[in-house]
Amino acid sequence: MDLKSLKQEEHKRKTKKGYMWALICAVLWGIWYIPGSLVWVLNPFDIMYAEIAPVDGDSTALFIAAILITSLTALTVMISLVLWNLVTGKYGEIKRTLKEFRPCSKWFMLAAICGGPVAILGSYMAMGFVGGAFAAVASLLFPIVSSTLAHKWYGEIISKRAALGIILIVCGGISIYAGGLLTELTTGNVRWLGYVGGLMAAVGWGAEGAVAGKGLDIAEPDVGLTIRFFAETLLWWIIVIPILLILGYPMIKYTLMAFEPMVFMVLMFAGLSFGYCYITLYKSLPLIGVGRGQGVANLYGLCAVIFIFLFFGDIPSWTLLLGAALCLIGSTVMYTEDTGDMESLRGD
Amino acid sequence: MAANRPIKFRILELCHNSEGRWNYEIVQQIQKEYNLKGNFSRDSINFDIIELASGGMLKNIESKVDEDGIYKKGFLLHKYTITEFGIIRAKDACLMYV
Repeated sequence: MDLKSLKQEEHKRKTKKGYMWALICAVLWGIWYIPGSLVWVLNPFDIMYAEIAPVDGDSTALFIAAILITSLTALTVMISLVLWNLVTGKYGEIKRTLKEFRPCSKWFMLAAICGGPVAILGSYMAMGFVGGAFAAVASLLFPIVSSTLAHKWYGEIISKRAALGIILIVCGGISIYAGGLLTELTTGNVRWLGYVGGLMAAVGWGAEGAVAGKGLDIAEPDVGLTIRFFAETLLWWIIVIPILLILGYPMIKYTLMAFEPMVFMVLMFAGLSFGYCYITLYKSLPLIGVGRGQGVANLYGLCAVIFIFLFFGDIPSWTLLLGAALCLIGSTVMYTEDTGDMESLRGD
Repeated sequence: MAANRPIKFRILELCHNSEGRWNYEIVQQIQKEYNLKGNFSRDSINFDIIELASGGMLKNIESKVDEDGIYKKGFLLHKYTITEFGIIRAKDACLMYV
């Protein structure tokens, strides 16, 4: 085989690998909505809600429960990443990268803020207030945020085809989003906090991708990811949970109750799927770019709808199916893009 | 630079010369400096190089087929040099003397 065809083959392999990581991410991310939805009907979160609701109202009670669930998820994701790093032997690199605050870890900490208290909390709010399928598809708008930021911020090239794919995905997201919202508007019972949560997820994850991309330039994805979740875990357990404790919410009692084997297993399941979905996403971003990587990872919406249907028997509405189809087409448009003429994904 | 800074910083530094560096040279040197043994480390370092190139910080200036199996027989070997964008990012992060 001559040099040129070997080169083309290698480039194809690289692009394929990037898309493959993004697809695995989509499946794992979709799976996450199973324990994410399940955890809401388990104790201690159920009785925590029942204890807070009579005093502070339903919305506050759900919000506080969502914070505890998000904090515990951050913890189980950290456990999953510790396992991952044990296998890959990246502890030395974590130490080296953590020390580089200005060029590296600063960005991962910023990504933790966009990802944790905005995106993941928002997502749990959407799951608790509206439902798993809605939460999954509500954040489908995030590629538009990440692509715009990546384009404006560090000049990442978004080809016409990639843009078309992103637009199709976004249309799919809107279809699913609007479907549920319109039904509720007609009955007059709109669960606004859930919809705000969905929006938080979209904006938070979009911003996280772009911010993390900045630090990932010069760091290893596994390492960047671990620092990002380390920062999020600290943020919840050193700042947010103690503040809620001072405000008089029974955080310690319910945290300790969450370590009951059945509950912890569900949380661990959430940690594993979510932690490893991040690992695969962070691996794909440097290979195919933030816009494309997150665009394909967007298929998680479809995966989540299927998994929720299989596990909980929730039959999706036609708007949901239309949206899911648009997402699939959009991702395929991006996947079949010929990137042969693009040596680099960044502008000069 | 001692082996106490992130591997990608060191890769950028190694590629910061006019002639560029072959990927197998970089991989071997990093493995030695950071005391990383085995094929997993080798592939992991090579993946770091690929990521830096995808990110536009390294540029592939020459390629040849690995006939003798220096790295992986039958696959391509690549020579990289740092790009303008790479120099800007490296200046910000690690190449303090540039």
